[in-house]
Amino acid sequence: MPPQSAAVSASVARRLSRAEIDATVRDLLGDTTNPASRILAEDEYTPFDNDYTRQKPSAALIDALEATADDIATRVLAPANRGRIVACAPSGPGDAACFRQVIETVGRRLFRRSLSNEEVTAYLSLQSFATENNPSVPHDFFTAVGLMLRSMLQDPEFLYRIEIGTPTGDPAVLRLSGYEIATRLSYFLVGSAPDDRLLDLAQKDGTPDALAKPEQRRAEAKRLLADPRARDQIHRFHAMWLGYRAIPGGTDLLAAFNAETTALIDKVVFDQPSSYLDLFTSSQTYVNNLLADQYGLSRPAGGAGWVAYGTTGRAGILSHGAVLAAFSKFSDTSPTQRGIFVQTRLLCNSVQPPPANVNVDQPPPATASACKLDRYAAHRSSASCASCHDNLDPIGTGLEQYDVGGKFRTHDDGHPECALDGAGALPGYGTFKGPAELAQKLIDSGRLERCFLEHLLRYAVGRGLYPAEQGAVDTLASGFAASHESLTETLLGYVASDRFALRQEDPTP
Amino acid sequence: MKKVRLSRRAVLRGVGGVAVGLPVLECMLDRHGEALAQSATPLPKRYAIVFAGQALGGDDWADNTSMVLGKRSTDKAAFIVPPETGAGYSVTLPLKPLADRNLMADFSLVSGLRIPWSASSVEAADVPAGGAFRDFHGGGAGPLLCGTRSQSASFTCRSATSDQIVAGFNKPGSIGALVVRAQPAWYLSGSSFSGRQYISYKGSAAPVEAQTSPSIVYHSLFDGFTPSDSSARAQHDFDLRARKSVLSLISDKRNRLMGTVGATDKVRLERHFDEIRDLELRIAAMPPDVGGQCQAPKDPGPDLPVGGNNAGSGSDQIATNTGYSDEATRARLLADLIHMAFVCDITRVATLQITVFQSHMNVFPISDALGVPIRADLHECGHNGDAMTRGQIPVSTCLQWHVGHYAYLLDKLKNTPEGAGNVLDNSAIIFMPEAGHGQQLNDATSPNATHSVEKMVLLVAGRAGGLKPGRHIATPQAHPGQVLVSAMQAVGYTKDTLGEVTGGVKDLFG
Repeated sequence: MPPQSAAVSASVARRLSRAEIDATVRDLLGDTTNPASRILAEDEYTPFDNDYTRQKPSAALIDALEATADDIATRVLAPANRGRIVACAPSGPGDAACFRQVIETVGRRLFRRSLSNEEVTAYLSLQSFATENNPSVPHDFFTAVGLMLRSMLQDPEFLYRIEIGTPTGDPAVLRLSGYEIATRLSYFLVGSAPDDRLLDLAQKDGTPDALAKPEQRRAEAKRLLADPRARDQIHRFHAMWLGYRAIPGGTDLLAAFNAETTALIDKVVFDQPSSYLDLFTSSQTYVNNLLADQYGLSRPAGGAGWVAYGTTGRAGILSHGAVLAAFSKFSDTSPTQRGIFVQTRLLCNSVQPPPANVNVDQPPPATASACKLDRYAAHRSSASCASCHDNLDPIGTGLEQYDVGGKFRTHDDGHPECALDGAGALPGYGTFKGPAELAQKLIDSGRLERCFLEHLLRYAVGRGLYPAEQGAVDTLASGFAASHESLTETLLGYVASDRFALRQEDPTP
Repeated sequence: MKKVRLSRRAVLRGVGGVAVGLPVLECMLDRHGEALAQSATPLPKRYAIVFAGQALGGDDWADNTSMVLGKRSTDKAAFIVPPETGAGYSVTLPLKPLADRNLMADFSLVSGLRIPWSASSVEAADVPAGGAFRDFHGGGAGPLLCGTRSQSASFTCRSATSDQIVAGFNKPGSIGALVVRAQPAWYLSGSSFSGRQYISYKGSAAPVEAQTSPSIVYHSLFDGFTPSDSSARAQHDFDLRARKSVLSLISDKRNRLMGTVGATDKVRLERHFDEIRDLELRIAAMPPDVGGQCQAPKDPGPDLPVGGNNAGSGSDQIATNTGYSDEATRARLLADLIHMAFVCDITRVATLQITVFQSHMNVFPISDALGVPIRADLHECGHNGDAMTRGQIPVSTCLQWHVGHYAYLLDKLKNTPEGAGNVLDNSAIIFMPEAGHGQQLNDATSPNATHSVEKMVLLVAGRAGGLKPGRHIATPQAHPGQVLVSAMQAVGYTKDTLGEVTGGVKDLFG
């Protein structure tokens, strides 16, 4: 059953991903040890790690959350750290005023709303553990604070971003509260909990709800985009979208890949803002000597810096080792997998799974020729295979001169007789050779930017899109075009839009 | 022996009506040591599955052909199935850990198992009852675990698995099946477990998430044990009260919160609150008193670090320090906890998934330790091995590593006296590899395939319910589910079916 309104995106209570919990306790409690990633089970990637349709509570999760909460509380209340959340100086184990202050401050940050007096009183009851007459058990003021933290960190109001909203004229549509908007804004743009300023804007005693105003949301979003965490968030989005979040390889090379891709995103999006499409067409890249040698480019002055691609056939992020290493198979490139990557992630075309009687764990079987592309061609000779593979393999063939690590080559590894001419085709859009020409074909298709925006919206709403949400992608696309493809302007426009401040029930739990 | 009058309930301190397990003390047994004296309640019967996410042989390598470090061999004893049937059969390479621990008489090897599939159609509608959808790996998982035919390539079960069925009629307290997994991470970039991490299902498409942290398993099972010295006891009492207060502050707000959220969120959040309530019930359930063989195990300490993704994207490039989280130690720690949970009668059912379906755990560390260094992950070991090492010996070496953990658990159960015998005598413990080594399920033609639900093997250890171990039972293509039916019957199952599979392998009983 689809949601009722096309103008509003459906939402449910989304559980924080492991990365979001880690960032939240880092920012609010000063715990920098990534406790959720150490203790909680891995998130499922579809391709993003925040897909709420995959979140099912289990006994294993509940036990792990309890352990995580204990683990965090112990660290946060170590004598050297506790001043961060306990601002008052307790006069003794039973200092109720100081405890109350801690409950109110920490509770508001962790629950992203202010606590009612009744709620504060409930936590105050924990002070009996600080004051009880029990000589054989060490306990003090901080014992109660620790229990409070453990309870809050296991609370569904911390773990889930619960959006309730208030009724509007349309019975299906709800308007988010200031706190709910603050939370949406912060987790979307910086991947962490709203800071005190956002919470204050959401609801200051007696003042109207500032975040209901689009211009205020835009201003706050602008502030958040200047935060280094916004860069991390954009890097994470690209890593999951383009599939390079944890690519294999040696440590030094991985670090160089990562620095290269990060530098390009930062430059295009933040430091020298230009058309987002420059990410795909950039004529230079940021390398160190290791990576320059890997790509066959001239070494940068000073051991690290920007160098020109020149006439190498490379351009933009599709030439990066990070992206070329993703979607590989058996330590070699897979033309089919690279084709699937381009079709699904860059053009948003669906690719049907192969028929059941095909064993996709294996590359095409050996033929009379030792050459890989001959094997791929042979397996397209059957009409039933060709119907799908003709849409996939020619794309990968056009990238075959670039190996899994982004090295240029003119023949199969170890087979000089198997020449690679790099000729490929983007089905429906003509022939190309190498990443630079592919990027241009993708841009010319008009599909790349739309597909990027569709993924951006998926990341924002935490699930695949409902068909009715194509209208939202249209809106994003017109904002994108009007801003000369500025990613930050597109984000600001989305945040300022009505859609961002509204919700409707997702009928599917 | 002097008999002390002691009712089973007498040692239960009253708590909110939650039934709990108790260790069996010798003074509670009857003269034969086979049942509890006062109530004539039989000794608890335990059921466990130890799972290995791999096949029995390598793609395109016959059972007796291998290459190790470039040297080819035709060692017939590398394949798990011995040539002889009955008792006293020869020890094959994967079974070596069982022989080393003198356990050959304590389990039966059931071979020739086959999950049915249609050779003429790949359509879901044509999958036979209890059969496999023609796409490995996913198609084979469901029928293997729950006996009901699969309908797609997804990793799922369409009915309850045997462990959950047994836990339904055979649980000592509030804890049902103990579901744990040694492999904590998927290790491949760009994808995630997607169902490969489940071997226990409460019903159709209702998987039970496994706990992967030995530390958390330890605390959830044994924190209730009351220490003997008085200051530790005071701390224990304090911690328990504090823990309950922490949780009740959450559950107390349930109704208020549920009154504010929409219908869909109510369903989502109720699921979460239900799990918290279950945790509270588990804590409230009186812990077993330490006594006899039941002793709190050693705290496993903080969990070992989780290894990063595989360094190689396939064979040949595997390094030694990625794609591996010391599953060897994790499996041992989890086996220790299962053992003591059984001994103390906290639970009678457990599943230990050592590696996940289609596992990409780096096998270099484990295979190197066994003298056959394989630079590949477990999945690749079956398909291609590495350039120099492939075929039966490498695959059987990985299998031997899995069997080693099974043997370790059996050995501990066997060396724990209970009644007139030992805990293994009152158990049915299964070893279950993911695949066989027959015709390929996908193309229906290639022989010696890892993607095969033919020539499968299960091991069944223990003597519960009259199981008669110590033999190789070669079946004419029995369904693996039939082996499970017999094992379930050995621990008290009164029906004759598992999903769509009917009947057992009666030879297991002699």
